[in-house]
Amino acid sequence: MFLINCPYCGERDQSEFSAGGEAHIVRPKQPTELSDDQWAEFLFMRKNIKGVQLERWNHSHGCRKWFNMVRDTSNDKIHAVYKMGEKPPIK
Amino acid sequence: MLNYNSPIAEVKNYNDLQISEIEPILKINLRGKNRDFMAKIGKELSIIPPSDPNMSSGNENLNILWLSPDEWLIYSNNKIELKNLDSLENKLFDEISKVNLGSVTNVSDHWIMINIKGSKVFELLSSGCPFNFNDFKNSKGAVTQTIINHIDVIIHNKNINNLNLFVRRSFSEHLWRWLNDSARFA
Repeated sequence: MFLINCPYCGERDQSEFSAGGEAHIVRPKQPTELSDDQWAEFLFMRKNIKGVQLERWNHSHGCRKWFNMVRDTSNDKIHAVYKMGEKPPIK
Repeated sequence: MLNYNSPIAEVKNYNDLQISEIEPILKINLRGKNRDFMAKIGKELSIIPPSDPNMSSGNENLNILWLSPDEWLIYSNNKIELKNLDSLENKLFDEISKVNLGSVTNVSDHWIMINIKGSKVFELLSSGCPFNFNDFKNSKGAVTQTIINHIDVIIHNKNINNLNLFVRRSFSEHLWRWLNDSARFA
């Protein structure tokens, strides 16, 4: 269990949030021109690294807004939280 | 509007706690972003929707609760007759939805309002809720959306030790039973 600082509502318990997977995956502009392998790569393949990862989260039991987070998956330390459309504050 | 049949129809009293359902009341969900939308709401209701997160504004008849940066919940302070439930909705719909300023949805049937008052209100809620009520309980007019016993709720701190709690109708009986069960031990 850990606390997440929602950029809209403030600090809340993790149980109010839903994880939405890896962030900043760009949708291909012309999906019809992709091969099945390339489409599957976009649709399903995600990094699962041990360490600092950029993720999407949703405050599903609060304001229901999506936002991004920089989280260390090895110890759940949250380095930064930023709104959708913003660039990650750290790499 | 559907026939209104409340699943809860009683007032429960415990040591320093009173739990009661207050229905039917008017509830309207508002969504909008731009300045014209805010100005129009202010003109129609004489209340400006709060832009500060987790806050509310209101007058003697209506309250507006902040739900997210572009979403608010209006509810009436007093019970109203069922036949009048859609009069304000129609007025706002004509002024806001029809001119594409935002959206207006009557959610009177969607939410059930439960009033909880007494000195042990926060002890009761804290037994099944991950939200930190330390600052909330001293902040009159504060609003939060959280979970109680895994059920989504909106809580409006109406006054000191006097809360209005909104729960979805289908979960209301379950939450009501949980509140009454927990109140015996608060």
